[in-house]
Amino acid sequence: MAANFWASTHYKQLQEQEEVDVVHSPDKERGVTLDEFKLIKMHMATYIWKLAQFVKVRQRVIATAVTYMRRVYARKSMTEYDPRLVAPACLYLASKAEESTVQARLLVFYIKKQYTDEKYRFEIKDILEMEMKILEALDYYLVVYHPYRPLSQLLQDAGMTDVTQLSWGLVNDTYKMDLILIYPPYMIALACIYIASVLKDKDTTAWLEELRVDMNVVKNISMEILEFYDNFRPITDDRINAVLNKLALKPQ
Amino acid sequence: MAQHNDHLQPKKVADRYLKRELLGEGTYGVVFKAIDTQTGHVVAIKKIRLGKQKEGVNFTALREIKLLKELKDPNIIELIDAFPHKGDLHLVFEYMESDLEAVIRDRNIVLSPADVKSYIQMTLKGLAICHKKWVLHRDMKPNNLLIGADGQLKLADFGLARIFGSPGRKFTHQVFARWYRAPELLFGTKQYGSGVDVWAAACIFAELLLRRPFLQGSSDIDQLGKIFAAFGTPKSSQWPDMVYLPDYVEYQFVSPPPLRSLFPMASDDALDLLMKMFTYDPKSRISAQQALEHRYFSSVPVPTKPSQLPRPPRKGDPVNFRHPDANLQEGPTVMSPPRKSRRIMVQHDAFEGINLNERQTTGENTGRNEAIPMSIDFSVFAGSRPPPRPTLNSADRSHLKRKLDLEFQHPEQE
Repeated sequence: MAANFWASTHYKQLQEQEEVDVVHSPDKERGVTLDEFKLIKMHMATYIWKLAQFVKVRQRVIATAVTYMRRVYARKSMTEYDPRLVAPACLYLASKAEESTVQARLLVFYIKKQYTDEKYRFEIKDILEMEMKILEALDYYLVVYHPYRPLSQLLQDAGMTDVTQLSWGLVNDTYKMDLILIYPPYMIALACIYIASVLKDKDTTAWLEELRVDMNVVKNISMEILEFYDNFRPITDDRINAVLNKLALKPQ
Repeated sequence: MAQHNDHLQPKKVADRYLKRELLGEGTYGVVFKAIDTQTGHVVAIKKIRLGKQKEGVNFTALREIKLLKELKDPNIIELIDAFPHKGDLHLVFEYMESDLEAVIRDRNIVLSPADVKSYIQMTLKGLAICHKKWVLHRDMKPNNLLIGADGQLKLADFGLARIFGSPGRKFTHQVFARWYRAPELLFGTKQYGSGVDVWAAACIFAELLLRRPFLQGSSDIDQLGKIFAAFGTPKSSQWPDMVYLPDYVEYQFVSPPPLRSLFPMASDDALDLLMKMFTYDPKSRISAQQALEHRYFSSVPVPTKPSQLPRPPRKGDPVNFRHPDANLQEGPTVMSPPRKSRRIMVQHDAFEGINLNERQTTGENTGRNEAIPMSIDFSVFAGSRPPPRPTLNSADRSHLKRKLDLEFQHPEQE
């Protein structure tokens, strides 16, 4: 599939950073800042990942679910689309779209296990209703490409399979950002390889040159990833709840 | 069907579509005709029931949505729109007037070599796009190739297009699919590729030339027998991997009859392409894209323009109202499929099987046959043999049944 990314709807739907970094007006009216918007998305990506560990789905399903969630919030407000419900519903939809269905009742069960907070409680019918709303928000585009496959191929090609684990971990972390909405997955993979090679003191200059890709883009992505690590603070429940409470308020 | 009186008070679905008559009922919902008030086009809307399901949007439906959103092409059915309405998911498809099966079966239609070329070219174009996007169709057969008002042929039923079939199609589906199944599938291969679709397209190509299904096996074993009777039992030099396939069994060796004897009217180029598509070893079988580049498509005659292709009369055309009657009268002549004569070990049995049926039914059918203009392909047999495939097999029956289902609605609707 990788070779046909250029013909895919995923490619056609790539957005500019500025388009992704827009706090929708209902959220803005409730005082949500861009940083807080990003924080909630990051938290929900982690939430999806945690739920996925319980129901045991492949990494690909998690990545698709996070992408769906990010695509939803590129178009819809968190006021209208409660992130606490959107996250599990995205995992539910992604599990179907990636052909490893997870039962809704299992998700409901593990949500209760994960959060005692009543505001996270949802019934099966809530998940199913949100599934439909998500489908609509995604405009029914469900195919998502990920950096994992190009990553393995590129590492093989570069003869650097010894940094597989490191670069794979880096790719996982890119889903805490919106990179998947903005850049072609293989460019994200390249950036992760680039970072890994710098960390491990490997010279990849010649190999990268041969690939004839726009190195500026690779370096930009790499910078964004490094910046993300620099600015990373542990997400506390207090920070999250502060934002989620804002969403429940009347507009200011 | 009586309950579908919606046309009396046209309802707008989602403020955009004017709901018309029911077209059919599929495995996970109903299909109705509608007018898109934004474009004025006629569309087919598939309503996917979610009410009773505890697992949300139907898995198969979701797979189809996912694929069709990626596959936008003139030769692939278009998913125009999708929307939830009263809790159900609605999928909007372009409305297709007919399908290739109806064209092949309609004895009033004469298919010229240029027409055949056009139909198979559109089939291969749609297939090439699927394969380019790594989508295997896996269910290629004439009634999944729909034909639009502009004559364009489009691949459908990526699980959904069964909407155009009747409820009774399921059994036929099984039988029908077998006739288009590649030998590697019949030998139980677990890993297969786009070659399975190309084999099926070859069967469709042959069917266009012959105006009847080419290899009508009555079981998987019999299907392989039919294939080998036509092309000879494959030697391991032709298909080295064959003996390693899970369900491989050794077949008695038969040598193939001259291909020319099976397709007397086909051009040399047509036969050459056909043989490349019917190559045993899937690894050496021509791809859909390569097939499109074959000289058959660049040599004369030029493929007929889609808009000028012969098609069955549109549903609702005056002539069509006679069909239900005609069909009903044919009812008693329905014979079982040619399965009684299925034991095939020598070369031309497949075609003798047809003749057997012909003899059984000549009495009822002669009058009709005489009145009907022969197609190009039929004329070949006209000398010594009666036209092939005069009886109704199960595929015909399903087709007729579907047609009847549709026709019967018109008096109510209009």
